[in-house]
Amino acid sequence: MRTVTVPGLARGLGFTALFAAFPFVFTESWVVNIGIFTVMYAALATAWNVLGGFSGYLSLGNAAFFGMGAYGEAILFQHISIGSGYRPFWVLPLIGLGVAVAVLPVAWVAVRTRAATFAIVTISMLFIAQQLAFNLHSLTNGAQGLVMPLPPFPNTTFERPFYLAMVAVLALSVLLSWYVATGRLGLMLFAIRDDEDRARGLGVHTTYAKLFAVAISAGLTAMAGGVWAYYIGFIYPQFAVDPLVTIGAVLMAFLGGRGTIWGPTLGALILVPAQQYLAFSEGASELYLVAYAAIFLGVMLLMPRGILPSIADLVAARRSSNGAHRADGPRAEMPEAVT
Amino acid sequence: MVACRFPDERGVVVRVASHKVSLAMAAVALAVTAACGGASGGSSSGSTKPLVIGISLSFSGDFSDPGHAAELGYKLWADQVNKQGGVLGRKVQLKIVDDASSPNQVVTNYQTLISRDKVDLVFGPFSTLLTAPAARVAARYGYAFPEPSGGGPLVFQEKLGNVFFVQPAPVVNCGDPFVSYILSLPPSERPKTAAYPELDDPFAEPIAERARLKFEAAGIKTVFKEVYPPEMSDLTPVVEKMAAAKPDMVFAGTQSDDAYSMVNAMVQLGFSPKFLFQANGANSPVEFPSKVGAKNTEGIFSCGDWFPNSKAPGNQAFIKAYIAKYGGTAADIDSGSAEAYAVGEVVSEVAKKTGKIDNATIIKTLHSGTWPTVEGNLSWDKYGAPNGSTMLTEWIGGKLLPVYPAAVALHPPVIPKPPWGG
Amino acid sequence: MHLVVQAIILGLLTGGVYALMASGLTLAFGVMRVINVAQGAMIVAGAYVSYTLFTDFHIDPFVSIVLMAPAAFAVGVLLQLVFLRPLRSDEREELSLLVTWAIALGIEGVLSVIYTTTYRATLPGYVNDSLTVAGYRIAVVRLVAFGISGVILLLLYLVLHRTRLGRSIRATVQNPTAARLLGVDAERVSAYGFGLSVATATAAGAVFGMVEPFNPGSHYDLISRLLTIVVLGGLGSLTGAVLAALVMGVSEAVLAATISPTWSSLVFFVILIGVLVVRPQGLMGATERGRL
Repeated sequence: MRTVTVPGLARGLGFTALFAAFPFVFTESWVVNIGIFTVMYAALATAWNVLGGFSGYLSLGNAAFFGMGAYGEAILFQHISIGSGYRPFWVLPLIGLGVAVAVLPVAWVAVRTRAATFAIVTISMLFIAQQLAFNLHSLTNGAQGLVMPLPPFPNTTFERPFYLAMVAVLALSVLLSWYVATGRLGLMLFAIRDDEDRARGLGVHTTYAKLFAVAISAGLTAMAGGVWAYYIGFIYPQFAVDPLVTIGAVLMAFLGGRGTIWGPTLGALILVPAQQYLAFSEGASELYLVAYAAIFLGVMLLMPRGILPSIADLVAARRSSNGAHRADGPRAEMPEAVT
Repeated sequence: MVACRFPDERGVVVRVASHKVSLAMAAVALAVTAACGGASGGSSSGSTKPLVIGISLSFSGDFSDPGHAAELGYKLWADQVNKQGGVLGRKVQLKIVDDASSPNQVVTNYQTLISRDKVDLVFGPFSTLLTAPAARVAARYGYAFPEPSGGGPLVFQEKLGNVFFVQPAPVVNCGDPFVSYILSLPPSERPKTAAYPELDDPFAEPIAERARLKFEAAGIKTVFKEVYPPEMSDLTPVVEKMAAAKPDMVFAGTQSDDAYSMVNAMVQLGFSPKFLFQANGANSPVEFPSKVGAKNTEGIFSCGDWFPNSKAPGNQAFIKAYIAKYGGTAADIDSGSAEAYAVGEVVSEVAKKTGKIDNATIIKTLHSGTWPTVEGNLSWDKYGAPNGSTMLTEWIGGKLLPVYPAAVALHPPVIPKPPWGG
Repeated sequence: MHLVVQAIILGLLTGGVYALMASGLTLAFGVMRVINVAQGAMIVAGAYVSYTLFTDFHIDPFVSIVLMAPAAFAVGVLLQLVFLRPLRSDEREELSLLVTWAIALGIEGVLSVIYTTTYRATLPGYVNDSLTVAGYRIAVVRLVAFGISGVILLLLYLVLHRTRLGRSIRATVQNPTAARLLGVDAERVSAYGFGLSVATATAAGAVFGMVEPFNPGSHYDLISRLLTIVVLGGLGSLTGAVLAALVMGVSEAVLAATISPTWSSLVFFVILIGVLVVRPQGLMGATERGRL
């Protein structure tokens, strides 16, 4: 069952500490700024992974949850004040819970379809969400967008609270990811991924499992969206609910290793700084989409399981060729085996 | 330039390495990311430091066309100024980066330009959507933010003292000259009824709404008002409903493509109102006639901040210099280039007037007085909204001409609008 | 009432074009269990090629379809060989989604570089003409688009039902194992099927370019509609796709005319959800591998 191993705990706490310490070591604003987006995508990718990686149900509509979280924050703070400036962070768990519950009815319709249809239905949900953001003027102000109040943080450490909030969301995502993966829900999800009909035949409550995974994924994504809204300050429908956010998170999860716990974070650590750097260098920018596509295709075709599982395979192969250990074949998709 | 190499993925987290090594590796990954370019860019030895101006423009994504136009304008200004010895003896160096039409990237860009590259000044990006978050970043660091195209209400609602929208009027006031003109007509010639088709867009809709309120107050009855979404590429259903209401005047809050499809739908349905105003789209000197047919443009009104034939100070010199550097004709010049050029102009003028060119001076100086640019004589209120007004333009004889107010008109307005096809 | 009937007419004409666009998508799924998210981008690419042929070489859009078809077919076969065949068959459905999404982004990127993001439209001479039939106005360009779509769909139907390739495709859709046992080369059929689907896409693009302005980013909106259409119609069913496309066209047009344009595009998604609650496999889909 679920065992907290010392190495696992060390890794978890260690990485969290590393991430948290980052802005105190590298204090330059522009560095912390890139850090904010990196950690944000790490959280998004990890959250996506709970459903997409563990159960194999590729959701391509996560940006809708992101937008819901962002709008949730903005709408809330049209009516209440931000106090000392930290209130938008304290309400994040509420927003996460709120979105998680709100998506359940729609998720129920979606998860009753099978994998291919599910993916398409999530794309449709994404566009519905964007349409609603544009059309519900009284709530979202439509295309005019919403404004978050100006954060009162001092300029020298302005980015820090946002960065730390994102780290908190990431830590929560990884923790929940681990908790799910090592528990019964995880077993159910993996069973669904391997063979859903058989799982159902064996009595697994597939709908309940998938719904739970969707709720977790949605709640975490919404929290990241909430922090983002406060940081950027301006929420417009086409940016809050943006398909490229989903595709980025999915790509990072694939790159790092979907089905693993730290894989998505690794994917984000690689891709986000690269992406921001590429866009910043003059001349590279127009090929930005093409580069993205090329990386994606490369990962799909050459390393379809992602970095961490591929490394694990290599290591396992080397071990067995050394005769030291008979590896039972690629086991990298089981969560105990990978960080 | 520090060569940035990202560590090989294998070096970052390897499962079987010891915990210490893996933690160290992760730390290295983050550190190398941060170190990329951490060596600050410029140690300018030389006698006079160049004046480095940071700008984020959209070279990819939705805003890439206007982004390119702005780039041309900024670069032309830099060239002109440097030919005359620079600003206060310092050569202007533009550092232009791409924001891919994304608010996340625009925030990152201005952050990096200001806090890492330590540019001397910044100029604004394209579009209110990107200007608003970017202006906040600049404000935090006390940088002045003269910008060419962020004129939506959100920008001024932020109440930032460092913003200057370098155009004659806030975007929502674009319809004001038309309203003044119509209301200046004797009552017998005025339209009695009006229709307001509005694009759901942060600029187009407010323009129409503002005009509608003014017209209603003057007694012109609203017989139709509808908001349509940007994805609606065929406006036939909207135009049909509008035509059924038989309005004398159509005041359309449009951007570009919807303006074209609205005219096309009207032509197809054979509906030609006596007065037709389109906030945007109809002011494109080359695209509008090509998309709706040159014969159909006659008599359509629009608003504009800049025209090749406007009499604004320095405009003809600007056009000459533009053609010398980039070729083409005056009609090919996108107003975005003129707007960007004007941004540069106000900064040169502050330098000339005060002998200084730091951000605090710019902010203080631009808040009073009038400043001549190719966009006209500009002045701002304390939150950056310009105090002037745009011009009313009309298509006459296949050309887009300013017609009101009389001081800037090159031709008196022609009413009513003739039927389609000239 | 007049408004509603006019809207229904407009909706049918629009729906016909969407039916053509969706046909390739559902064909790809039926034959290869591949969700070709790049269909939208291929349609846009077809629109651009047709636009260039028209604007620079004055070639009528209809003729451009004939010119593009063989090239598009070849491109489709190539894409299938390079990007789709290597995918493991048990994961093919999900991975194809991502692979084709990447291809779509790539196409969008290339088109942005070549054509920039200015909106274009192929405007043949008759673009502003309209006919009046029994008091209802019908734009000529939409009628032509509908007509061309109908012809191509008919051709597709003939290929599927009267040629050997078509029979092989249908056999593979119904029962791939049996088909193989009967000597159908599944790999080749997949490749040709995909080629056919891409050819249909570029033809649809030429038509699409006539009725709506487009830019490289148009494929997002397009693919979301097309995917919704094929899910509503039932993945793999050509008749279902046509039916669903017509439903979409009519419902949106009627809603835009009667209530409000801003909500019209949502009505279709609502219909989709409604249908999925009752029938998760779509209108004409089967719970197992379906018929075309």
